[in-house]
Amino acid sequence: MDVNDKIHAQLVKAGVRLAASLPDDWVNTLINKISAGNQIRHVSVGREAETIAVCAGAFFGGVRSVAIFGNTGLLTCTGEMATLCLRHAIPVFCIVSGRGSIDDHKVYQEVQGRRTIPLLQAYDYPFKILDKEEEIEDIPNAYEWHRLQKRPFILFLTKKLLGTNA
Amino acid sequence: MKANECMQVLAKNRGDAVVVCALGMAANEWWAVTKSEDSFYMHGGMGLASTFALGLAIAIPDTPVWVINSDGGLCMNTGTLLTEAGQQQRNMKHFVVDNQCYQTVETMPMVNQDGADYTVMARGAGFQRAITIDNLADLDRKMPEIVAAPGPYFIRLRVEAEPDYQRTPPATYEGPELKYRFGRAMEKKLGIKVFGPRGF
Repeated sequence: MDVNDKIHAQLVKAGVRLAASLPDDWVNTLINKISAGNQIRHVSVGREAETIAVCAGAFFGGVRSVAIFGNTGLLTCTGEMATLCLRHAIPVFCIVSGRGSIDDHKVYQEVQGRRTIPLLQAYDYPFKILDKEEEIEDIPNAYEWHRLQKRPFILFLTKKLLGTNA
Repeated sequence: MKANECMQVLAKNRGDAVVVCALGMAANEWWAVTKSEDSFYMHGGMGLASTFALGLAIAIPDTPVWVINSDGGLCMNTGTLLTEAGQQQRNMKHFVVDNQCYQTVETMPMVNQDGADYTVMARGAGFQRAITIDNLADLDRKMPEIVAAPGPYFIRLRVEAEPDYQRTPPATYEGPELKYRFGRAMEKKLGIKVFGPRGF
């Protein structure tokens, strides 16, 4: 069982039955595993903010969900996360690639690496950087905790954890 | 036709549908007509009402879900049509109240005010059923077919712009209270659990 299989399994264990996503090459393997499986329904969207809206809507249908996308998308949708999720106190569990880290040398990820965390802190969106495989089993705990926070929560997956060459 | 008149016809044909209202004039009119608590009145996330409704519709596949969207919201995020059409969610209907202006901000003109046809855009995005209705008689006549047909179904309601833009006030509660009222209404209506045993 590889890292993405373990994340998938822990999401299922947390009760997640719906995933909305937009691709980023660090999280595509996870998206593909979810899409290929039959335990979590997968919804492809055209813009990252839509993943937040899909999950917020599913919340009111009693279905646990996850939004999956890249760090660039997180920067694009923090305002909509505020006006929808902070305004109405709706929890949304997000899994986001931790692009722009010191081991990510893509020039188009540089700003994300420097500015994402300060932006999350400004909005008071809680987050956790997941870079150790043994911490994957904390996902169900994190899921319960984010519901209590009543706002978006971001779980960053690192390059070290994913072992990606992208 | 006027938005309030449209909402009266929609309310008459609603049946068991759960309704999501985009922020703005149409939401205010729906509240004025129905005082409905099994409706969600979005206070933000402009442009995301239909995707929010899609997530809800997926979660409760045996219950009809309607979104009453605004033309301004649709224009802000037209890509939502692709997302919605891609899912072919059979229990979802998408109404857009098209008055060609941003009515709640002093009726300023809509982007490309006279040049856009949202129904054609919906068909292009992949909706097999997409229509425009511009008078009450047609709306009244078409609603039973709209209700009975499988979704996704896109209905553009072409209404008059009304200059008294603050005539109809919004729902009388807001943000977090709306969350709990709607969530509890869903629990009661559908027998589901939205909140856990300790309320979150």
